[in-house]
Amino acid sequence: MIIAEDVAILPEGIAWGLLIAFSILWVFLGWFLGRKNKTAEDHMLAGRNVGLALATATAMATWVTANTTMTAPQLALQLGVWGMFGYSLGALGLILFAPLARRIRELMPHGFTSGDFIRLRFGKFTWRVFLVVSLIYAFGWLVSLAMAGGVLINALSGIDYRVGMTIILAVCVLYTLLGGLRAVIGTDFVQTIIIILGVAFIAWLTIDKVGFEAIHFNLMEERPELLNLLFPAAIMFLFNNLLFGVGEIFHSNVWWSRAFAFGRSVGFRAYLLAGLLWLPIPIVAGFVALATPALGINVPVADMVGPLVAAEVLGLTGAIVVFIVVFAALASSLDSLLAATSDLVTRDIYRGHIRKSASQHEQFRATKVIVVLLGLLTWAAASYRGELPIIGSLAAVLYFTGAFVASAIWPVVAGLYWRRANPTGAALSMIAGTTLGLVSYFVIGFYVAALVGAAVSLAVLVLFTWVAPRDFDWRSLAEAEPRDTAGARGGIR
Amino acid sequence: MTISAGALGTIVVIATSIATIAPILLITLFIRDWKRGRLW
Repeated sequence: MIIAEDVAILPEGIAWGLLIAFSILWVFLGWFLGRKNKTAEDHMLAGRNVGLALATATAMATWVTANTTMTAPQLALQLGVWGMFGYSLGALGLILFAPLARRIRELMPHGFTSGDFIRLRFGKFTWRVFLVVSLIYAFGWLVSLAMAGGVLINALSGIDYRVGMTIILAVCVLYTLLGGLRAVIGTDFVQTIIIILGVAFIAWLTIDKVGFEAIHFNLMEERPELLNLLFPAAIMFLFNNLLFGVGEIFHSNVWWSRAFAFGRSVGFRAYLLAGLLWLPIPIVAGFVALATPALGINVPVADMVGPLVAAEVLGLTGAIVVFIVVFAALASSLDSLLAATSDLVTRDIYRGHIRKSASQHEQFRATKVIVVLLGLLTWAAASYRGELPIIGSLAAVLYFTGAFVASAIWPVVAGLYWRRANPTGAALSMIAGTTLGLVSYFVIGFYVAALVGAAVSLAVLVLFTWVAPRDFDWRSLAEAEPRDTAGARGGIR
Repeated sequence: MTISAGALGTIVVIATSIATIAPILLITLFIRDWKRGRLW
């Protein structure tokens, strides 16, 4: 659904000005921060010694996506208070990943990707299944972020959906290309500050201008189910979202690459702090949607509710603040995902399957080509928003991937902590969990896909390991990498 | 069973307060890391 220009809230001239100004800022920062990259490790892992402040901010910024700032209000509008509370449980993914990040760093001091771990821990078959799951998720997330960019710009300024989406995607591809993970982490810090301040500013002004009594009264009159604490679909969503968030973080190379990149004692504290600070964000961002009945706003499409409320309450200022916040949120996640996915494709597809003898210099060049290709693929898919059966709304795209990611939770956890976990069981648990999760997505609803995927995956993995346990030597994870690391040091200069 | 206006307000105000403090905390950590030479 495209909003016509006559209902746009932000004048097109201002929107273009903001787009150009922030595009220049992000690209400059990306170039500036990445200019000292000398090796593949610098480019892919920012030198492996990121401090607590930058580490916490990048974890937060990556997890506060445009989906958080736009889908949280959408879910509050559809599922009420449990919609925003459920979304905030996504923070548990960050918090629970904190001990995993520490263990990953200990077990694989020279690791590069989550794929490296699965290959070394479970063998090639499980690795390939994992790559399919991980890449489908990464692509789904990329498309949903690009769509969010186009939707925002169109909703606020009337600029064509495809034009806005193209600009945001191109800017992120460019600065990720220039600076690698160092640029991504550095810009994430600035973007985190902008996002949180903007979201809090809109919430405080909504509270001040509308008030809780008016919001509550009007909801009771028009949408009482949104205040219902026993809303069955919403409670199901709450647990589903918890597992979805955990699955996203546990398996995705976005978070693994950071675990490898953070300083040795930083990972645990950074993920824990980021989770605690992220927890309130979906509530703050989602709550404004509950003000729509009190404000008498007609919401044409659910995923536009956040920007519409902000613009209604704050006028031009609100539209500008939302525009900047979502642009920052989009960039902070898109760059992370582009960088981490290109690393995964480079290491696990290009080097792992196509050119096994690729030098570090060749991998470095391949990473850059793959960033551009990922950007083009994402652009092509996001261009067809609403014209394909699955790519309908932001939430639909996001939760479609829920079945995939939730089925990867237990193989990752078992791989890190359960010495006797069965490798074939790990592969089949992902296949069965994803399959039944997708069935439940279409038969029951988006809010159960992750729940079913995780439950089936756990059952299959436990069953296989119980029947045929396999021993594993943790030291082999650390021993297998020095060969690669030696290449990294001698290769790219 | 519906949530009351008071409970909703309390939760949202607490959440918004934490979100307001978060940038200050991050900037403080940044300055500390910078002074110690531990940004990267």
